[in-house]
Amino acid sequence: MATPVPPDEATATGRIDLGLLRRLLSYLMPYAGWFALTLVFILISSLAREAGPYLTKIAVDDHMVPGRAEGLGWILAAFIGLLVVQFVLGYVQGWTTNMIGQWAMRDVRLQIFQHLQRLPLNYFDRTPVGRLMARNISDVDALNELYTDGIVSLFSESVTVLSILGFIFYMDVHLGLLTCICLPISFATTSWLQRRTYQAYREARTLFARFAASLQESISGIDVVQLYGCEARRADAMNDSSDRYLNARLRSSIYHCAYFPMMELSGGLLLALVLWSGTGRVLEQQMEWGVLVAMMQYVPRFFMPMRNIAERFNTLQIAMASSERIFEILDSEPEPTGHEAPETQLQGSIEFRDVWFAYEDDEWVLRDVSFRVEPGQSLALVGATGAGKSTVIGLLCRFYDAQQGAVLVDGVDVREWDVRDLRRRIGLVQQDVFLFAGSIGSNIALGLEDGPDPETRAAAIKDAAQHANADRFIDRLPRGYDEPVGERGASLSTGQRQLLSFARVLAAQPEILILDEATASVDTETETWIQEAVARLMKERTSVVIAHRLSTIRSADKILVLHRGQVREQGKHEQLLAEKGIYARLHGLQYASTEAET
Amino acid sequence: MALNPFAPFSSYLRPYRLRIITGLSLLLVAQAITTILPLLLKDAIDTAQQAIQGSSLVKPLEQVEPTSEAAVESGIESGNERALRQVAILAGAIGVLSILQYFLNFGMRWSFTSLSRFVERDLRERFIHRLLLLPLSYFGGQRVGDLMTRATSDVEMVQRFLHHGFRMTLFGILTFVLSLVVMCVLDWHLALISLAPMPLLIMTTNRVHGAFHAGYRSIQEQFATLSARIQENLAGIRVVKAFARETLEIDEFRRENDEYVQRSKRMVVVRSLFYPFTGILNGVSLAVVLWLGGLRVIDGSLSLGAFVAFNTYLIRMSRPMYMLGRMVDEFQRAAASLARIERILQEPEEIRERDDREFRGEIEFCNVSVSFGDSKALEDVSFRVEAGKTVAVVGRVGSGKSTLAKLIPRLVVPSSGEILIDGSPIESLPLAGLRDAIGFVPQDGFLFSESLRSNIDLGADPSNGRAAPAAQSDPVDLASEVAQLSADLPDLPEGLETIVGERGVTLSGGQRQRTALARAVVRQPSILILDDSLASVDTHTEDAILQGLREVMATRTTIIIAHRLSSVRDADHILVLDDGRIAEQGTHQQLLDLAGIYADMHRRQSMVQELTEL
Repeated sequence: MATPVPPDEATATGRIDLGLLRRLLSYLMPYAGWFALTLVFILISSLAREAGPYLTKIAVDDHMVPGRAEGLGWILAAFIGLLVVQFVLGYVQGWTTNMIGQWAMRDVRLQIFQHLQRLPLNYFDRTPVGRLMARNISDVDALNELYTDGIVSLFSESVTVLSILGFIFYMDVHLGLLTCICLPISFATTSWLQRRTYQAYREARTLFARFAASLQESISGIDVVQLYGCEARRADAMNDSSDRYLNARLRSSIYHCAYFPMMELSGGLLLALVLWSGTGRVLEQQMEWGVLVAMMQYVPRFFMPMRNIAERFNTLQIAMASSERIFEILDSEPEPTGHEAPETQLQGSIEFRDVWFAYEDDEWVLRDVSFRVEPGQSLALVGATGAGKSTVIGLLCRFYDAQQGAVLVDGVDVREWDVRDLRRRIGLVQQDVFLFAGSIGSNIALGLEDGPDPETRAAAIKDAAQHANADRFIDRLPRGYDEPVGERGASLSTGQRQLLSFARVLAAQPEILILDEATASVDTETETWIQEAVARLMKERTSVVIAHRLSTIRSADKILVLHRGQVREQGKHEQLLAEKGIYARLHGLQYASTEAET
Repeated sequence: MALNPFAPFSSYLRPYRLRIITGLSLLLVAQAITTILPLLLKDAIDTAQQAIQGSSLVKPLEQVEPTSEAAVESGIESGNERALRQVAILAGAIGVLSILQYFLNFGMRWSFTSLSRFVERDLRERFIHRLLLLPLSYFGGQRVGDLMTRATSDVEMVQRFLHHGFRMTLFGILTFVLSLVVMCVLDWHLALISLAPMPLLIMTTNRVHGAFHAGYRSIQEQFATLSARIQENLAGIRVVKAFARETLEIDEFRRENDEYVQRSKRMVVVRSLFYPFTGILNGVSLAVVLWLGGLRVIDGSLSLGAFVAFNTYLIRMSRPMYMLGRMVDEFQRAAASLARIERILQEPEEIRERDDREFRGEIEFCNVSVSFGDSKALEDVSFRVEAGKTVAVVGRVGSGKSTLAKLIPRLVVPSSGEILIDGSPIESLPLAGLRDAIGFVPQDGFLFSESLRSNIDLGADPSNGRAAPAAQSDPVDLASEVAQLSADLPDLPEGLETIVGERGVTLSGGQRQRTALARAVVRQPSILILDDSLASVDTHTEDAILQGLREVMATRTTIIIAHRLSSVRDADHILVLDDGRIAEQGTHQQLLDLAGIYADMHRRQSMVQELTEL
């Protein structure tokens, strides 16, 4: 059986793609000045650091070997001066490096978020929130490492290696060449081991993900586990995957253990070579003592940066894989929009002209639907689940576009309206009332434009709440309008949330109201408030209601009966009852009991 | 920090004593070599220098007389040659020791790494073992994510400390002590002065790592806020679009995003100051050696070789020093993680025993009430089911039907009242035995990522002695037949052996429920409980299932909780729950005649059915 590999792991093998790299680097462009400055700082501070051993060389050759104490103070002064330069530049460079990374990341995050806001609704239908969150968190995190550490480190470590090499060559070409011979060998071995380590590591991570999934399953299904007495079997399964992970880890550890001491080995061997060859050259008077002394300081510093370079390449590869997934979001087509803007207010007429619509291929959800709603009139949509009622609403708000026919608002095709202006003029009450974390007040203010001073705002919020009957329960809350509502507003009842969403829509003072009545039953008191509010809302403006309450339907100017995507009946309540069609049947079944109560 | 930082870990380390001892010995030898190497260097340089000085004492280089040139040259040559030979031997020794050291380091790292991995595995194993034996009520108060974190990140944190922190602490201490000893032997005066900045380094690293920790937490919090913002925005994207709030949302996100950068900035300052600072402290030590050591070389009280050795030791010492602060931090986090893991390990487990009693399946509830916190789920419920009968429970969402079902296998414990099975109080029955006798089919039909067969045959575990005898017909096949699953099998790639769930074939809700039903049927339970478990199955299939069940369950007790009244019509007795109380009870016809809640529900449902068939 093929081993399923989580997608994140599978793509991380990618080579360095230049186009992708260029696009990644483009996020640094706004900070190009800072970036250039950083590179200069790195160059200088690296030189200052590696000049230390060279000063030691001068001290040895000019003072220690000849036994001349005077002038040593100057060298000390220079040494301390270099320390100060290192410290100051080290700080500045560290700051700019990190901040450039932070800024670039901020821009990437903002750009993703901005783009997400512009994507059409069907994008979100297709893509689960969990996956989008993963992009936003782990993939962005991988980029973070690239920007704050990867790119600059690659440069600074390379500069360190080069400046050490530079000093060595400057002091003695012979030893320089010797070091250069060691360089490729050591680099090749390290990066080979490093790659093996990384591969083994990835394998282990995959197995770990599997263990975690198995554990997660056991916890989620704990009631089944306990009811069916299969604790031992589950434990075996989990321990088995835990053992597999252990073994993979141990395998990867072998490379790891071999990889890390390589630096010391390289250092030790080069040191022995330098000592032997260097002493020979000193004895032959082709080289001064100081060079040998300085070499003893350079050699141990030489291999660390090389290891870091090898590791940065990894960061780069992981970031590449992540960036591909991020760019995939950024490259998806944004929501289409027209440019027609309503003159201050809409008249509020709505027309569907021979509309055909399918979410997928040929599965028509609406077939040749036509109807008209005059300004100020109300329309009740009636039909069974799946008849196409919600789709009518989705098309009206231009969440989706019809495949055939046209949807017109004020006689203008919705595709020509500026989509955000259009939606601002349409108030939509959804059945599943989504509340944002915040207070009751802030949720009502959702429909208010930003700007007016706090008092006008508070008044507008209260006004809307009053009009929607929401104030009746809000006034009873301990903190009134400041009462916090949690994620998905768990602390409020369904009925209260309905009222709240009426208020929120009213606050925006829309010319067209669209209402998807909740089916869930609520207590009688709230029910009365809701019926009252709905009647009031519908009176004042053009409204389209997916109705479940008889009272709502009866008060509508027109009833549209949808069945399997087609308009089957339309007219007023009495008229349709007399027709003895679908509506009459529905009415008899569903509302007989409620009618008796009211 | 406790006196012995490893005390909390000791009970987990004990089985691996041998590895620890091996690792420690290898570390000790490797460190001894590290300490010797600079001394060899010193010897080599001093030998060579003496050779030069020796020759220059005879004849200073500048005043070589032409006449004696050959003689002197040969003298120098022989002196130089001898020195060079000696240096070559020393260099060779350095090379050989480096290679030896590589293997010692390899072995040492392997000991500690493998040790940490074994402890990690052991911790997980204990965790899993305990977790599965915790009473179900424990899981109600826990979030899955939290338990997962303990078994994954917390265990990893402990592992990291044992692998890295453990080794680095020992390494640091050894490097420090050995280097200090040798430096003092070479020149204790110079050693002490040059090491003067060290305590400062240790102190600052310790402090800074504390600040790092706090800083990271504050950044992490802001990151969580940012993520929550995105999550909420995406979850409510329909509202965002309906209200055309995109720009406002972006503004809000921008504010949080900027705050994140702001918080990171504070951290960046600390970090950017810290690393150059450690560099400068080490630099000061080197400067001291350069100055004082240089003067001593000049006045002859320190050899050039010793000077070089001094420099080497100082460079070597700097790393473990600034690692130390990190180690303290790593230790604290590992100890905190271990404590979080142990909190689970110390939870009392639920005793699961079984005996060989047979259950007849008689159930009696006497004034049973259940409350969760302040809210009452069931109030004063009493009823009796004779063995072999079928009882149905209906009612609105939240009326307490599920709670009632869960009381029987003791997934929920009543707050008052008594439940009797076959006349014995339920608490007095062996828990595992009771559950073995019950086939409980929960609402969601939870499946494991295993084959369909092993999902059905969940209880069949050789170790608990209930494995079905390899008899005539396969009980799993029979159960699938009853649950109407058999018809779907040809459509699955490997029939009953198909892997399902997250890593396999995704089954429909109805298929999942039917699998869960087969799972219960295969046990041939004395009591079968269907907790609204046929909701996703279409009506025709449901009829077929109920028909099949009637045959299999003819002599067994069945409790059906259902939303759809069509499935309860034929029950011997129907209970109607409302707000946790029994509101009505009787047979289907009796309840219809009553014209109460049941009759109303019945009317609405026939309407829905008619509409869908329209």
